[in-house]
Amino acid sequence: MKTVDIREQPRLSFGRTVRLTLNGIRYRLFRAAVTVVVVGVATAFLTNILSESVIRRSVARKTRDRMEEMRRGALWATRLSSSRTLEGILTAIADAGPEDPIYRETARMGALTQEEMPSFQRGARKAAAYLSFFSDLDYARLRALVKTSRGLAIFDRLGDEAEMERFAASLRGLRAVRFVTSLEEFQAFIRDWPAIEARARRVQEGYGAAIAKIQASLGERSVLRALTDAAGEFGEAIREAGLILDRETAGQVADQARRLLQKQFLEQSIAIAGLRKEIGSRLDILPTEVTADRLWRVLGSEEGASWYLEKLKKAEDRGWVAPFAPDSPPLDASRVVRLARREKEERALMRAERIQAGDAGGILGLGERMSWLLFVSMLVCGVGITNAMLMSVTARFREIATLKCLGALDGFIMLMFVLEACLLGAVGGGVGAGVGVLIGGGRMLVAFGGLVFRSAPLTDLLICCAIAVVLGVILAAAASVYPSLKASALAPMEAMRIE
Amino acid sequence: MPAIDPGKPRIEAMRDGDRRIIIRTVNLKKRYVMKGIVTEALRGVNVEMATGELIVVMGPSGSGKSTFFNMVGGLDSPTSGRVFIDEVDVAQLTATELAFLRCRKIGYVFQSYNLITCMTALENVTTPMIFAGVGPDEARERGMSLLELVGLKDRWFHRPIEMSGGQQQRVAIARALANQPAILLCDEPTANLDHKTGMEILRTLQRLNKERGVTIICATHDHRMMDMCDRLLWIRDGRIERVARRDEVHVSIGSIDGK
Repeated sequence: MKTVDIREQPRLSFGRTVRLTLNGIRYRLFRAAVTVVVVGVATAFLTNILSESVIRRSVARKTRDRMEEMRRGALWATRLSSSRTLEGILTAIADAGPEDPIYRETARMGALTQEEMPSFQRGARKAAAYLSFFSDLDYARLRALVKTSRGLAIFDRLGDEAEMERFAASLRGLRAVRFVTSLEEFQAFIRDWPAIEARARRVQEGYGAAIAKIQASLGERSVLRALTDAAGEFGEAIREAGLILDRETAGQVADQARRLLQKQFLEQSIAIAGLRKEIGSRLDILPTEVTADRLWRVLGSEEGASWYLEKLKKAEDRGWVAPFAPDSPPLDASRVVRLARREKEERALMRAERIQAGDAGGILGLGERMSWLLFVSMLVCGVGITNAMLMSVTARFREIATLKCLGALDGFIMLMFVLEACLLGAVGGGVGAGVGVLIGGGRMLVAFGGLVFRSAPLTDLLICCAIAVVLGVILAAAASVYPSLKASALAPMEAMRIE
Repeated sequence: MPAIDPGKPRIEAMRDGDRRIIIRTVNLKKRYVMKGIVTEALRGVNVEMATGELIVVMGPSGSGKSTFFNMVGGLDSPTSGRVFIDEVDVAQLTATELAFLRCRKIGYVFQSYNLITCMTALENVTTPMIFAGVGPDEARERGMSLLELVGLKDRWFHRPIEMSGGQQQRVAIARALANQPAILLCDEPTANLDHKTGMEILRTLQRLNKERGVTIICATHDHRMMDMCDRLLWIRDGRIERVARRDEVHVSIGSIDGK
């Protein structure tokens, strides 16, 4: 006679559970595919955004560094030809650390002591912050707050007590405007402003004197020509005047000055009608359509460069053009080609800069609008996944009941569903991540061109993919927890009755 | 939770006497409430079934026959009353113990087969064995021999949708026998089978009952089964209308071919 001993049902090993789950997926491939697609779309979108942002940021970094390098010569030319504005002085010192050369320079120019500098810098930082706030404000609000004053004049204006009261009142009245600091801090700053301004003026005067001295040593030369000697005598003159110019920068500045001079010479040559006609007939366009752009395109090749130099020589012989002073490196075909290439690079960088103009704020510097879009789309996709998983669980109530009749434990049922969700989420996440990175990379290639390859941030991209996959798994698993909990808690007969 | 020790059962079964009551219900009541309408499926059922009995349960549809089956098999819990399987109150078992019961001690054959559609016939039959912890090779062997028993050895790799109703029923029966249960609950096992196959199934069940002492409780209209059984139970309107032993009832079996 058979006896009925009641014991505890042992739990199923994990491997067996996985195998049973895979079985289930294999059979329901279509419905599983739907879940995978939903997860995939969500992760593709996420990785697309993330990878674009990552590539953008790394390109931006490289662009910024490179642009700074390339512009140094032109920067110095402007520095030495015009006097500094108060605003310029304040913003320059605001971002500098005590190690930066600008720090020492400013101190020297304004004859500021070690004790005075830190407080001056603090004041400058605040001034810069307030200035940027006011400059970002739209016209209507600005008018409401400070009427027609702009820039530093705002600080002068608000020095008057009555004006400050009016300002405070209007600020409180304006909603959706977040002032940089508290009103009390601003008022304290305004009180300190005369002292800060005085110091800034000292710096300005110092710079004025220095620049006057340098200009005196120019002689007949233009600033640019003088700068070609930045590694030599002229550089010494600059240093004597009090500006800071280290050897390495001096060398770069000299090179760039030379390059700029040669560039200018070439670009100005198309003013001559005869040369324009030559270029026009070469490119098969009207002489009036010849621009610097087109000239550089011709000069981009060895053959084009030597051709144009020939024409230039002829023009020089005929007296149309003043000859270019012999220089080192000499202006031959290979040099011209190199100049053309640099020109192209600079244009690409400028284009990149323009594209990045709108990137600020939000998550990871994605931009406010993009962050919002991302959040909403993740939410929508999460809901979609939940729906897909709920449908899957609901349609299988009968199967769950049957399994329970055969001795499945509650935990096993739960595990089966959550496991399935995790697997599908992982697959969908992986596929989506791959697609997203491809799309993002493609778009960035189109936008930035070759710059992308030079700065390809592979590790960051991989991390983006990993994040997306993990997110996919979490989303899918979280969506399936609730329905599978419900399913596993049913008594077998109740579950069958629902069918 | 007590540690699982498969060697020592938590609740000892009674061993005194060969024949004992394996299933006992005391004043079993079940009511369903759906959208405000109360349905009393069982209104106080008291039965006792001994080991090794073959009991046929009869009753019109809606009489509470299926509900009674669910109670007895531990698939559903009553609103009031008790079910004792081997003098163990089913309501007092933990979830894992219930799972053990369903897995190894009770076999179910449903009217709607309830096969798992994503598994092959063999996988369906071996699933209870997997839950019981049997190794895959042994499970496959036993599964194949069970399928042979029901005459489906050549179709072990077919899925339920590829089989006829009768074949699915046979797979369901094979699955119910997977872990050599002590109690077999069958809901219309031969309804969709032809005469010959039905006869085979019946003979198998009879053999199990006589040689191995498996208690079989069947809900059926098959006269051949009624002929083989020990007791008959009539349920109507949620109550036992009549209980009779086989020899008290006159069952005539007709046949088409004169056998």
